Parts: sequence; C-alpha cells; structure tokens
Amino acid sequence: MAAHVDPLVMGRVIGDVVDLFVPTVPMSVRFGIRDLTNGCEIKPSIAVDPPAVQIAGRASDLFTLVMTDPDAPSPSEPSLREMLQWLVVNIPGGTDPSQGQVVVPYMGPRPTVGIHRYVMVLFQQKAPMNPPPALAPGSDAARVRFTTRAFSERHQLGLPVAAMYFNAQKEPVSRRRNYGGCSTSSAGRWA
Amino acid sequence: MAAFPSASPSPAISASTWRMGSLRAALPTLRPSPAGRLRSSFAPAAAATAASVGCLGSFSGLAPVSNLLSLGAENSSFEQRLFSVDARGRIVAMRHGRRVPKLNRPPDQRKALLRGLTTQLLKHGRIKTTRPRAKAMRKYVEKMITLAKDGSLHKRRQALAFIYEKHVVHALFAEVADRYGEREGGYTRIIPTFPRRGDNAPMAYIELV
Repeated sequence: MAAHVDPLVMGRVIGDVVDLFVPTVPMSVRFGIRDLTNGCEIKPSIAVDPPAVQIAGRASDLFTLVMTDPDAPSPSEPSLREMLQWLVVNIPGGTDPSQGQVVVPYMGPRPTVGIHRYVMVLFQQKAPMNPPPALAPGSDAARVRFTTRAFSERHQLGLPVAAMYFNAQKEPVSRRRNYGGCSTSSAGRWA
Repeated sequence: MAAFPSASPSPAISASTWRMGSLRAALPTLRPSPAGRLRSSFAPAAAATAASVGCLGSFSGLAPVSNLLSLGAENSSFEQRLFSVDARGRIVAMRHGRRVPKLNRPPDQRKALLRGLTTQLLKHGRIKTTRPRAKAMRKYVEKMITLAKDGSLHKRRQALAFIYEKHVVHALFAEVADRYGEREGGYTRIIPTFPRRGDNAPMAYIELV
C-alpha cells in the first residue's frame, strides 16, 4: 500500500526518543538464540539477562549504548518517559557491552500496563568518557524521566549511529484450567 | 545481519510446483481465482496427508476433495478475501461499494467486539490485534476521542454508553485536552507486525498517537 517506511519512524522511536539520523554502524542484538528485529515481540521472562549486542567498527572507536523504555508506566500515559534500563559507555568498536563501563546496570523489561517499546540507541563517542560510579542495583527511582536527547547533548554525542526497538508486554499468569469439570452434553435432539 | 530489516515481512505464499496429477483430476471444477488461492493454501495440508498415507495415493487424493469445500469457507474467514460477491451474486475482486467491515460476525456481536476493543485500547494505550480489526476500530476510537474533546455532559453520557468501563471514560475526558488539544483527527496509528502463529492471521499494533 504505502511505500516502505523505516520501522523506526513507524514505531515512532524517531520522534519520541531520538531525532532523524542516518544509521552508520551495524548493530545486532540477541536474547539467547532469538535475534531481534525492529518491533518484534519479546517476553520479559527471556529478557531478564542483558542481551548479546554485537557492534561493528574499529577497536579505536568508542561507543555508548543506551536502553530506555519510552512508554513507562503505560503507553497511553507515559508520565515517567523515559525509563532508563541500561547505560554502558566506552565500548570499543567490534565488541559487545561487556567490554565497556556500566553506568546503570541492566534492568529487564517490566511492562506494567499495555505493550511497551524498549529502545536501544548507540552513540559514537569522540573521546573517552569519565562516567560517574555505577548506580546501586536498588535505585529504580533514579532511572525515570530520562531523556536520551538531553543526555546526548550534555555529553556531546551528537546523533545516534544505530537504533533498534522491540515490544514487550506483561505475560499473563497461567491459570490452571479445570479439565475434569462437568459439561452437560445436549442429548435432547435425538428424536 | 542487517540492522534494520523490515518490520512487516511480506506474506510468502510460495506457489509450490506440487505434482498432484491424480488429485487435480479428482478436484471438482471451480472458478479459476478461488481455486488457485485455495489450492495453494491447502496444498501443504494435502501434501502432509498424501505423504503420510503412502500407498493409498488415490484414497488420499479423494479425501482432500471433501476438505476443499470446508477449507474454502474457513480459509477465507481467516485470510483476506481476494474476492467478494456483490448484490447480484457476481464475484468482484475489488473493494467497490464495500462500506462497512463486517468482521465475519453478526451485527450485535460486531458491535460488542468493537466496543470491547476500543475500551481496551483506551485503557492500555497500545494493543495487538488482527489487521482488519485494527482498521475497523479506528473509526470508533476516534469517535470516542472526539466526544471527549467536546467534554459536555451529554457527550460524556454518550461515551459511557459505548465504553464498557466508566473509569476509562472519566480518565479519557480528564486528559484528552492536553493530549489531543491541538491535533485534528488521526489519533491512532496502526503498525503491522508479524503474523500470528496459529492461523497466520496478519497482526498489527494499534496505538493512540
């Protein structure tokens, strides 16, 4: 029907989280054996651990990875936009975030109401950054009301070089069905 | 691989070269367009039955014939219809004159479905449903938001008559001014996504802009 729209524009990642940019660095994200594509649905139970992110590039380049949830606490009322899930700086090119310095430890997706988008943005650093000491794991209150644009401006990171997002919603609690229950069969029509 | 693959893959209906000479002879003569679509859609199922039944090749050739007519009915309810029947009983491939999406339901059930879907969308902000339902929903969601923009008591009561949960209505009326005050129409967005595993129904996210 319409011409092919960039999935980041279609999912309003460009617009809500970042500005329009040209992706220059290929980045691939994987949860276990599941490769991520833009807009795919991930269950929070498999996203508990940090994903394996593969960043291309030379080893002399340094990258910053930001993962946020722009739909906190609910997509219809994102009053806590955005919630910071993960922040790693000084990642050398061609490796993954375990080689960088973790500023904010990874927190798995916890969508309370509705379907949330989880956005991973990659910036290229011009110089090694001096990050503050890593946040304690219990301080969730410090993660809310984060703005990726303001962060990028404050540290002169410029436009992102790669971005990707996925969706997650609360998994329904499996209820045990009563399989041996009574079921009246309609046997009245056999005239 | 590529960092930005398309979010909505094109449905790959592979026209498999399925050598079913005996089966084709056993098929009743149908019109070309539905038969082409139906054959390609049930060919994988017939392939499974024919392969499993080995020596009873002619028997399995007959069995799908009775499935053909029932498969045609249920397949067309799940997939997008490529053709429809107009008032004169002729088959039409285009959308001429189709005004209301019927969603394969009688009118009362259709209204209830749309009421439920709009309630859930206004409650959660983003829901995932089939593409035809998402497209049919837009009208009612935007109608509700327009009622909320007006804000008078009469409009509030009209909204309460449509939406199943009254706290959703009150929340909507409270916050619509700062959310959609300047926006004229177009309060929803539909993002197609991967098809559903059970029946390959094309799915879409619909969200409030």
